[in-house]
Amino acid sequence: MSTKKDVKKIREAVKRHKRETYIPVQPDMQMGFVHHNVDCIGCRACEIACKDKNGLAPGPRFRRVQYIEGGTYPDVFAYKVNMSCNHCAEPACLPTCPTGAIFKRKKDGIVDIDSTLCIGCRRCEAACPYGAPQYDPSEIIVKKCNMCVDEIDAGRKPYCVMACMMRVLDIGPIEKIWDSSLQTVALGASDKVSRQVKNMANIELTKPSIGFVAHSKGKLK
Amino acid sequence: MSSNESLNKLQQRLNLSRRSFLKGTATGAGALAAGGLTEMKYGKEAQAFAYEPYPKDNELDTVVTSCAHNCGSRHMLVAHKWKDVIVRLSTDDGSYQKNGHFGKDTMEEPQLRACLRGRSYRQRIYSAERLLYPMLRVGERGEGKFKRVSWDEALNFVVKKMNHIKSTYGPTAILDQSYAGASYGVLHKSDQIEGLLGRFLGMFGCRTNSWSVPSYEATTASSKWTYGTIQDGSEDDTFAESKLMIMWGWNPAYTFHGGNTVMYMRMAKQRGCKFVLIDPQYTDSAAVYDAWWIPIKPNTDAAMMAGMAHYIFSNNLQDQAFIDKFVQGMDAGTMPGWGKNSANGQENFKDYILGTYDGQPKTPEWASKICGVPAKDIIKLADMYATTKPAALKASWGPGRNAYGEQYSRMAAALQSMTGNIGIIGGCAEGVGKGWHAEAVAYPYDQYANIWFQAIKSDRWAHCVLNYPNVKREEVGLWPRQDATDGQIPNIKAIFWQGSDWLNQLTNINKDLAAIKMLELVVCMDSTITPSGIWADVLLPVSTHFERHDTALPWYKGHYYIHRPKVIEPMGESKTDIQIFTELAYRIGGDVFGKAYNPKASRGYFNNNDAVDEAYLREWWETKVMAHQHIEMTWNEFKQHGVYKVKMDKPLVGFRDQIEKGIPFETASGKIEILSSELANIADWKKTKYGYHIPSIPKWIEPWESLNSPKTKDFPFHLISPHPRWRTHSIFNNCSWLRETYEQEVTVNASDAKRLGLKNGDTVEVWNDRGKVVVPVYVTERCMPGVLVLHEGVWMDLDENGVDRSGNPDFLTLDEPSPAGSFAYNTVLCNIQKTKLAHRPGWDQLSTSRAHVFRRDY
Repeated sequence: MSTKKDVKKIREAVKRHKRETYIPVQPDMQMGFVHHNVDCIGCRACEIACKDKNGLAPGPRFRRVQYIEGGTYPDVFAYKVNMSCNHCAEPACLPTCPTGAIFKRKKDGIVDIDSTLCIGCRRCEAACPYGAPQYDPSEIIVKKCNMCVDEIDAGRKPYCVMACMMRVLDIGPIEKIWDSSLQTVALGASDKVSRQVKNMANIELTKPSIGFVAHSKGKLK
Repeated sequence: MSSNESLNKLQQRLNLSRRSFLKGTATGAGALAAGGLTEMKYGKEAQAFAYEPYPKDNELDTVVTSCAHNCGSRHMLVAHKWKDVIVRLSTDDGSYQKNGHFGKDTMEEPQLRACLRGRSYRQRIYSAERLLYPMLRVGERGEGKFKRVSWDEALNFVVKKMNHIKSTYGPTAILDQSYAGASYGVLHKSDQIEGLLGRFLGMFGCRTNSWSVPSYEATTASSKWTYGTIQDGSEDDTFAESKLMIMWGWNPAYTFHGGNTVMYMRMAKQRGCKFVLIDPQYTDSAAVYDAWWIPIKPNTDAAMMAGMAHYIFSNNLQDQAFIDKFVQGMDAGTMPGWGKNSANGQENFKDYILGTYDGQPKTPEWASKICGVPAKDIIKLADMYATTKPAALKASWGPGRNAYGEQYSRMAAALQSMTGNIGIIGGCAEGVGKGWHAEAVAYPYDQYANIWFQAIKSDRWAHCVLNYPNVKREEVGLWPRQDATDGQIPNIKAIFWQGSDWLNQLTNINKDLAAIKMLELVVCMDSTITPSGIWADVLLPVSTHFERHDTALPWYKGHYYIHRPKVIEPMGESKTDIQIFTELAYRIGGDVFGKAYNPKASRGYFNNNDAVDEAYLREWWETKVMAHQHIEMTWNEFKQHGVYKVKMDKPLVGFRDQIEKGIPFETASGKIEILSSELANIADWKKTKYGYHIPSIPKWIEPWESLNSPKTKDFPFHLISPHPRWRTHSIFNNCSWLRETYEQEVTVNASDAKRLGLKNGDTVEVWNDRGKVVVPVYVTERCMPGVLVLHEGVWMDLDENGVDRSGNPDFLTLDEPSPAGSFAYNTVLCNIQKTKLAHRPGWDQLSTSRAHVFRRDY
């Protein structure tokens, strides 16, 4: 028996496996987040606004501003990567759910969990490469960001976006975010959007609907 | 059997709704299996907000209000409430102002978005620490044992004690330690100097005032001497025009000190402005603006500035035309004629810098030895600052909270004026930095506003209590009086706290704790139990600003008013502070005192205040805001919108008129006084509030503790205690949402940590000869070696040996103010080591801080 693995064959098997198990909803239009990693002051007003909006006790955090720092004194750098749920094109959480509680909206691609169906098995939590599903021990279910669908349906924007003091967090059609054509003050005139920065899992896993203005030290080589 | 009958039977058997069954049959058997069965199993498809009830914003009542804590800013909060419960808070979205719409966010009328502290207000209102009923102490003072009593009992207790203390010990026996914690509203105002408590105690005839302001006394003194006013600020939109921004000890990404300061600075960056940070820490402000970081030894800022001035003078880069026209005492040519005959007015600044008087030129090399910044960097920065225009040297308050902090502030003013960056857009004369002037007082303001019988430097109260009567006036910084009581040491026997947590916040807490045990009455008025409140005899519950009628205004930067209606009814038995003072006045002095204290109120005010408060606010709006500021919006219209944003015809720049139109400065000479006329003419320093000599021109003075002093042999680290982002001083320390995003921890440089064997998250003790605190350590490359950073304001938590388990830096600070009155919060040497002692995050054991999980990845 050969010990040599055929990487190509394995890749194909993975692809085939995904196709066989779950065909993701193709949204009419996919909404996503955009965040400026450099100009974000890291104040976490978005996090607190989110906790207040969703009535969360300490523990679960739908939105997480990650602090990254490096270098050696005195030549140092720091930046922020701000993520909640990325409402992925191929959400890893969704097929893991044994009750069908997780769903993706056809209209705008928002991924959400039906709390009355969730049994708190936490499989989605383990499956998500970005840490979006958050276990709430007080209700014994998993919860996560739903991009404030109620606000979006009312013609407004999510609480986190409207909380940003620096105006560096926004939402929009993800294709426009990725080609830097979204009209938003989150992007400066010469800012280019990256789909992947260093401090997140490989986007090929789930194709997350998020774009960043990366710090020079946060860009992938 | 008809087809209808069979359908009905099938429907009953499967318990399907008619709608879903018809949908199933219409699309064929396959769809029935897929769609229909799902509905059979769950009743409905998966959906958002499936749990009930989930009230959406549009189903709730919307009330515009604001935050109200002591941070200098004021941002909009919008309460979404159901009946008498605030379900959630949002903030300005542009739609509330006149001619507003959702998303409106312009340069001249930006949205007033609240920060993380403001957004957590629901946890403050509905917290377990909320004071709901009057309480009387039953255990020893500080033991924290109280019993609930009626208002009647609590107030009668206070009245009896106050009368006894005043008649026994005289008019200086009650110390006013009111501060700005409860509110900065126009009506319900807790304030150190002229707030509601000051007026009450002054009218009662027993009040020792605390005159030095913990936050910014150095820069207040400096701005008054230099410009004759503390109104030296430009509005924050002018920062967008700067080409060079030197942030000296300034971390706006933490303080949010000003409406939209951080956002306007981002605009400057996008327009090509260069940023520099002089600070022992590489702060988030440095990261965001991609600043050139110059680490500096704490408390040596004035020396570095002197080195910059030397470079500018010796290369003739100063704006001589500006100096000649607007400045007094910058050089020999701008000295006043009276100078040589005055007590201290012989020296000019340039000759001091060049070393004419003491033989020591203040060269960049000289400065480098003191401040630890390489001479080439001092030269480079001086050159940048002198050759870039407009350039803003933003001299923040923090480096002024030091021994001789006023010299730093004065030195900054000298640099700002020698480069001619005052009065121009994109420049900066700050300083205090107060910009637009709001009409701030709706409560009764008259001859009783600030009556006091003695006034001391605020952090000297414990020294005064512990050593009375063997205290010299200069030791406590007695404010001079124009009568026979001048110089009499106050005999303090009681403390009144209104919106103040000073026992937790002033310097050298161990000394304060010794002193407070000697008092006969300690009253605490607050909306939560605070570390100070634990040490009180009486706790009086004050309703929060969500539970009373008021109007908010920015104290520092920003130009707007935000209406604060009563959003919910007062919780528990809480009352407003005016209600409490009015009731006390009636109980002490009957109708005469009661009516004088609160002229619009009647005896029933304690139980019904709505109409009177509305009358005060309406009168303030109509006779002050509308009349003085020419604002045309009526009070009723303002109440409808909830916000009024003032549109300026041109950006507000500090001292623009003085420079453009030649209007004199508010100083004795009418000029920018680098040589202070006031200081130059003082002969007897003991009879001044300062107590000790202060040079008339900015000078470098060696602080009593620093990394350059011999004391580093025992205490090799310099501790600074800046403002945290996740609290406003001690306010919000009990909010778990904030506590889980950040931890109280001491920051230490990675090489120091390695030498001491410290790893990230280790518990350490930090100590000196004044106290000891236990706290986790945060190891980073972003901090200068030899420097420790421990944020102020955490709620103290003593163990049985007097060790603070929360990590409150004020157990280590010294109660020795600078001559000008500035607190020396950042002049602290200490040591650090790994410990087995327990750290306790505070009184929120339920809040599991997981801050470091979401932090750092190397």
